[in-house]
Amino acid sequence: MATQLDPAAIPVGCPMHAAGERFQPFEHDGMFEQLAEYRKDVPIFYAPQIDYWVVSRREDVISVLRDHERFSASVATQAVVPWPPELLQFLADNGFTNESVQVACDPPRHSRVRSHVQGFLNPKKLQSFEAEVRQLVQSYVEAMKGKDTVDLVDALTYELPAMTAFLLLGVKDIDPRRIKAWTELRVKLMHGFPTREEQMSAGDDLLDFWRFSCDLVEQRKQNPGDDYPSWLLASRGGDDEKLTENELKSLVFALLLAAHETTSNASANIILELLRRPDDWAALVADPSLIPNAVEEGFRFCSSVVSWRRVAKEDFELGGVSLPAGTKLLLSLASASRDESVHENGDVFDIRRKNARSHLAFGNGIHFCMGAPIARMQVRMMLEELTKAFPDMSLVNDDPVEIVGVLTFRGPSRLPVRLYA
Amino acid sequence: MESEKIKFTFLSADGTRQQVVGAAGETVMEVAYANGIEGITAECGGSMSCGTCHVYLDETTFAQAEAPSENEVDMLDIVSSERRPTSRLSCQIKLSAALSGAEVTIPETQF
Ligand code: HEM
Ligand code: FES
Repeated sequence: MATQLDPAAIPVGCPMHAAGERFQPFEHDGMFEQLAEYRKDVPIFYAPQIDYWVVSRREDVISVLRDHERFSASVATQAVVPWPPELLQFLADNGFTNESVQVACDPPRHSRVRSHVQGFLNPKKLQSFEAEVRQLVQSYVEAMKGKDTVDLVDALTYELPAMTAFLLLGVKDIDPRRIKAWTELRVKLMHGFPTREEQMSAGDDLLDFWRFSCDLVEQRKQNPGDDYPSWLLASRGGDDEKLTENELKSLVFALLLAAHETTSNASANIILELLRRPDDWAALVADPSLIPNAVEEGFRFCSSVVSWRRVAKEDFELGGVSLPAGTKLLLSLASASRDESVHENGDVFDIRRKNARSHLAFGNGIHFCMGAPIARMQVRMMLEELTKAFPDMSLVNDDPVEIVGVLTFRGPSRLPVRLYA
Repeated sequence: MESEKIKFTFLSADGTRQQVVGAAGETVMEVAYANGIEGITAECGGSMSCGTCHVYLDETTFAQAEAPSENEVDMLDIVSSERRPTSRLSCQIKLSAALSGAEVTIPETQF
């Protein structure tokens, strides 16, 4: 197509216009049904509420993610609702110097920073935490034993990934709920739809969270250990050309979010889908060797990062339309992972699906998730320990589960279950 | 500078052979992606985080090519298909004269 599309010129009555009008970027109810329709009829459309073009087909999503020359990650964590100047001023006045270092950066900066991170967040190093993570999972499961009903979010999926993150960061003796609360605030400020009051009242907490990250780095300077901040400090070797201290602090600040928010939501989503299908749960109880594939099917079917963002650096064509440089794209990972072109009956949850693992839950290309091995490990272990301890676990049917979300993340806020028959 | 063209062949698990041409300096993974070769998933786009770009080189090429780095050898520990003496991560093999005429075998699965 030769002419470029101006969103304002998409005629009312055109399926593309209708999709844009119907699309509710912060509403997760009925999301998958809508995405299935978009994939079929309007693989790319403009969402006026957020000023993004939504991309739903796997092939298109991958082509954008892999083309970091033409599509920048700079908008990946940009506030959907811009922060008020007063908040920015308050933060600047108080030493909040967090900067984009990785997930929202492009090469060459991204490559330089990622090469330092790689030394610690690599599959081999992450595997070495296996025994400690197992112990953590077992201790949470042990604490549930004997109870009649529990909220699995409260009892397991909310805290456990934060505790695992603490293992990586060498953090001890801090209440994971403090980090969780800070993280939720940050997520809302970046990917959510906060009111101005909510934005303005977030300043102090944001600052506390940042200072906590900085303190962590300062402590490791005095007492290095076998942990992420210590590794980065050693890798930097005091050389700002390699990695500045502020970049390092920003990396730690980033990991304090990325390493658990995602995993908390994904694990709860996956357990929920399994419990919605008692036969599947029983199958995992009877044959735990099915668990790793069930985990992948879970990531494919109901992962937590439902979409991710890019902005075009030059004019481009995608899904049959031509668009100008500066166009912002909301890539639906959730939709891409269900695309029928690769996953037959993509909207069906099938724990024995052969190609379950070809999903896009962890992205694709140079920003591919560096925590995927330990995210997989945690979900697998939760399922292993839960099926072993509570073979008859079931959903409390009369207690509907609410899926809460922001633009990019999705997970249940509660997951009440009955532990025994 | 005109970059040198290197010709080599991909051999798929099902026996299909595909001859491809790449420029010196490009990686084997990049050439596979550009030519739509199936079976090299390369989820992480060459940043050595995924281990899903695993291939087997023919022995001659393996011996001629630059040796894998320590990080690559570590990553090869976690690949899914059988690891063999000539296993490599295709995202870490840069095209050079050593790759000319190489046979790059794609394993049955990357997961
Ligand atoms: C189920 C859990 C998780 C999901 C669904 C998830 C998903 C993602 C996604 C979609 C991206 C962006 C990919 C892109 O831009 O192409 C990403 C990046 C990243 N993730 Fe994860 N993630 C999870 C867990 C983790 C964990 C546990 C860690 C750390 C231990 C982690 C660390 C990172 C880092 C450092 C990046 C940035 C990579 C870069 O930009 O180079 N993630 N993740
Ligand atoms: S592409 Fe991921 S390790 Fe080679």
